[in-house]
Amino acid sequence: MRYKIYMLSALLFLSKFMLAQTTDVLTGYVHNEDGIPLGDATVQIGNYGTTALSNGYFSLKNIPTGKHLLVVSAVGYAAFQDTIVKLAHENLALQIRLSKDDKVLQEVTVVGKSETQQVREQAIRAVVVDTRAVSTRATTLTDLMNRSTGVRIRQNGGLGSRPEISINGFQGKAIKYFKDGIPLDYMGDGYNIASLPLEALERIEVFKGVLPVSLGADALGGAVNLVTARRRGSHMHAFYEIGSFNTHRAGVTATHETKNQKWSYGTELFFNHSDNDYDAFVGVRNPNTANLEYRDMRLFHNAFQSYYGEAYVNLQNRNWVDELRLSLTAFALEREQQHPALMTDAYGAVLGKQQTVVPSLRYKKKLLDGKLSIDQFAAYNNLQTRRIDTLMGRYDWYGEFTPKTTPGESRLPSLSKIHERQVILRTNIGYQINPTTSLDFNYVFTDANRDGEDPYGQRLAGTDIDVLSLTSTYQKQVFGLSLDKYWMDEKLHNQLMAKFYRYSASGIQNTWFSTSVTDADKRQQSGNYWGVAEALRYRITPSSFVRGSLEYTYRLPEREELFGNNIFIVPNFELNPEKSFNASLGYQQTFDGNFTVEANGFYRRTKGLILLVPIQAPNAQYQNQEHVKGFGFDLDMRYRFATHYTLSGNATWQNLRLFGITHETDQWKNDARLRNTPYFFANAGIQSDYDAVFAHEDNLKVFVNYNFLREFYLETIRKDLEPGGFLGLSGQANINSNLRIPDQHLLNAGFTYKVSSGRINLGAEVRNLLDKDLYDYYRIQRPGRSFHLKVSYGL
Amino acid sequence: MNINLEKMKTLKLKAGILALAMGMLFVGCSDNDDPQPDPDDNQESKYVLITMSSNVLEKPGYATAFDELPSGNIANNGSNALQGFGFGGWRPYGNWLFKMFATETPNTLGIERLEVNANGDVTSGQFIAGDNTTNGTGNFVIVDENKGYYWDGASPLKIQIFNPTTMSRTGDIDLADVVNQRGADEAEILYRAIGQKFLAVKGGKLFANITYATTNGTQKGFWDDFYDDVYIAVIDIASGTHDKTIKIEDTGAIAYINDNNMYDFDTNGDLYIVTQGVHPRGEGGKSKIVRIKANETDIDPEWNLNMDDIMDGGKFVSVFAKDGKIITVIPKERIVGGPTGNINFEDIWEFYSIDIASKERTKINGVPAVTNPGAAYGAIEIDDKILLRVTTKDGSKNGYFEYNASTNSATELFKVTSGGSVSGLHKVNIGN
Repeated sequence: MRYKIYMLSALLFLSKFMLAQTTDVLTGYVHNEDGIPLGDATVQIGNYGTTALSNGYFSLKNIPTGKHLLVVSAVGYAAFQDTIVKLAHENLALQIRLSKDDKVLQEVTVVGKSETQQVREQAIRAVVVDTRAVSTRATTLTDLMNRSTGVRIRQNGGLGSRPEISINGFQGKAIKYFKDGIPLDYMGDGYNIASLPLEALERIEVFKGVLPVSLGADALGGAVNLVTARRRGSHMHAFYEIGSFNTHRAGVTATHETKNQKWSYGTELFFNHSDNDYDAFVGVRNPNTANLEYRDMRLFHNAFQSYYGEAYVNLQNRNWVDELRLSLTAFALEREQQHPALMTDAYGAVLGKQQTVVPSLRYKKKLLDGKLSIDQFAAYNNLQTRRIDTLMGRYDWYGEFTPKTTPGESRLPSLSKIHERQVILRTNIGYQINPTTSLDFNYVFTDANRDGEDPYGQRLAGTDIDVLSLTSTYQKQVFGLSLDKYWMDEKLHNQLMAKFYRYSASGIQNTWFSTSVTDADKRQQSGNYWGVAEALRYRITPSSFVRGSLEYTYRLPEREELFGNNIFIVPNFELNPEKSFNASLGYQQTFDGNFTVEANGFYRRTKGLILLVPIQAPNAQYQNQEHVKGFGFDLDMRYRFATHYTLSGNATWQNLRLFGITHETDQWKNDARLRNTPYFFANAGIQSDYDAVFAHEDNLKVFVNYNFLREFYLETIRKDLEPGGFLGLSGQANINSNLRIPDQHLLNAGFTYKVSSGRINLGAEVRNLLDKDLYDYYRIQRPGRSFHLKVSYGL
Repeated sequence: MNINLEKMKTLKLKAGILALAMGMLFVGCSDNDDPQPDPDDNQESKYVLITMSSNVLEKPGYATAFDELPSGNIANNGSNALQGFGFGGWRPYGNWLFKMFATETPNTLGIERLEVNANGDVTSGQFIAGDNTTNGTGNFVIVDENKGYYWDGASPLKIQIFNPTTMSRTGDIDLADVVNQRGADEAEILYRAIGQKFLAVKGGKLFANITYATTNGTQKGFWDDFYDDVYIAVIDIASGTHDKTIKIEDTGAIAYINDNNMYDFDTNGDLYIVTQGVHPRGEGGKSKIVRIKANETDIDPEWNLNMDDIMDGGKFVSVFAKDGKIITVIPKERIVGGPTGNINFEDIWEFYSIDIASKERTKINGVPAVTNPGAAYGAIEIDDKILLRVTTKDGSKNGYFEYNASTNSATELFKVTSGGSVSGLHKVNIGN
């Protein structure tokens, strides 16, 4: 991609020496206009970064051949960016001069790839949400992701409501979450896109289908890797956002690195609160007639509040370690529950809480001249989850209280406390066999055991034994091996991967339906499975490439799916892993640096989708429900025009249908669309970008984003009754049903303004500008029009 | 009271009772607030079929109005079918189609009336809402076109009164004193209710079971009975006062509320009531069919059917009475509860005809063993035909069979090939 950066720099001096030597080393010096070394300068070349020593010297090893974006910055100086070309077996020596003088406004044309772009152009396709680029906006991660190609985030409410991502029609537990490559299960609800601020992340990588081996998980449909912001040197960043529904979000990130670069430490603190007291169109029971009368009611018990903090110390640049990160993370959140799964009843006191403290350790070291890299992570925590529903009475939608004689507003009175003790180990070893070939080995071990207590909970029939006190255990190991190979001057990039999955679990079967527990009720499950994947990318020209992938993989049943949660999800030992064959093919081209278009198609054939099925009230059970196959494609375009404007758009259409149903009563469902899954959605946006609007060095960005979601169906409908027209996009399904989720339109608009000091940014956004009724799940209404203002300050 | 159109005709002719209720037979099915009897010759009939498309708690499914009694292979999920939730069964009354679950939202308990128009459009009508957290909410019985009773878990010691024409609650009867006549000091009784599982109207009296439950959790009132005897309050409808409390001895639990109310009136007005037995997981044991004779208000001590005498480890789940015969299903093997048990989705239930006087039972020929009818009725009567609901595990049979009393056999009338397992069929007359 080709773009222009206006930067403040009095003088730029760049020397490029190409020396024919046997080792690949990139070295250089950073100094200011007076020749004084800038010891704190941060040097970033593609994926590789370091900090200049006190004499301004820096060195980086094993920079891959190709073009790289070079970014050099130091506190108090204008950042420098340029593209360097690294050839195989050749060294580069650079001299970089930074200036704090602003007398020259120099235009520099850069041709290169940012790290975000590089991820976008890997053989394994990732949709990358560049959070850093929009971090000053008063927007949310979920909104950002919803604008991304082929990705749908579904939430049943406002800030903090649990998000579910849908990728190529896969959702729920088929999608795995990672933080910097580490599986995130152990963090519960404390670290997810619903509550994280933009500032916490560098970017989000959404993998659709094939996953890189470094993400060690048995994800079937894709994965979300939350890549945290990497900051070198010293810095501090603070922000505060205020919004409708008494929404407050605040945070501070700060890091400091010693001059000798042997130590660094830092912290991240985030806070979220929202009353989420928006209007929802609900059925209100008339106290006299008992009829439901639908009207807009203000939610009154829907608040969310969370605290998240991390403190870390890094030992770095030592003989025995490149980086050893000791980290302590803690979070606590509280979520009011306004209604059950659907907005059928009002609750006024039901609460959910979750908290944990997670010590973790990460060790990174490169050996053998950087050919061998080791990355080890370890963490232990005790995740505590509470559910509180003890009220001796009930509320109505007006917030009026009526006492009653039995505890609990819901079907499940509860004062539960569940402990999940978890160990997670992740080992990643990379070896560069030669400049074009590398091996990557990844191993993830997770061990969890769960028990708890609930004085209101179920007892084994005829006993006083709390079913929550029965321990269940779960162990999973994922081994992965990947061979990366470049051919044809790196035009062709191939990744061949194999994964081995192993799990074992133990627990009690009849916790909900037994008169007593005996040895016969104890269950152990285990299994071993193989998966293989192949991904290929071919660069046709410097501005275009094609890529494709094939994968055969499994997703193992999770612990909760096997053993239930001892609350309302009951065990199912008949569960089999989901298995899937996935294929994808994509093409991307950039025209004249201003217009980029990407088209991708996919095919999948999945057997035994595990879905949560309600059974005898109030219980539900995970079951292998359906076989799904189909294809889809998405189109993504971005166009820069008239210097200051960028137009972007994407659209996703997927044709996922049931197959292999042999039961005679249900055969009509063959070839029907997968229920409760959108099949078409699209986004469009325009952004303007102006400098020096009100002051010499300020910047104003104004944006408008539109999202369209085509109607879909909560329950299966016959194929011949689906809407007609091109791709089924015309009209409505020919059904007499209110289980149709109608077409939805969402319009957001806002701006960001950087004041001339460069340290203060203002962001404002209006969400759901048209104040439309929006639903992600059936009749779970999302907020109407809301206003958000954000100020951020950086040092 | 669950008496379909044709049976009520017979009832009128033979018993000559409930003259006011009989007017309902000729009432057009509409949302008209002032229904008028329609002469037969101005009526158009619709045969409304419901199916459940997935065996899950929400009971999604379809309702289609056919112009004629279906035959052959039919689809129940075409463009004219109403799609919704709560289609595991229903409880029709005359020309009205009532369900205990809302169509438009899943797991919503109450009373809903489906509407059918002359074009064959089926729509969800007015809904009376109740407490969604307690099973039994929405259990109802209709006295006449202006009065019915139902139970709402929000007020477990009261019986609610509603108008089935306007589909609105009109009042309640507080029966706390009646409930507390026994067991008031029993610490093990954690939950009390009246009318939660059994409401019937007969001879100007309302019969309502009294729940004395040992749990107050998610399934309170079901399989958790404190007493072995089932207590039933008898309430005078005219005065709204409690006459007495009767009991069904040594049986544990009365009907499981799921649209199928598990009782029926014989042609002579005798009331036959299913009890579910004493097993804490609903697996039977002392499950019975008992009787209250037409002109009586007490349980007939001289007559009952005890499943233990027929199939050890079985229970009754359905009853249909006509002309001195009962049609019901009897398990051919010991039942096992739970989602992996045989109770609901295995072909273990066989149709039998039982002579009430002699208690002689005869297996009905030509019908395979079926899955549990559950919320659906096992047998119904339409156009003077007795129809048996037949669904098998593999789906090879999924429709209604017509019963021939003279040969004690049945033949397939129609099969639903698209839309799910059949859960109800009823004929309604549409006023022109």
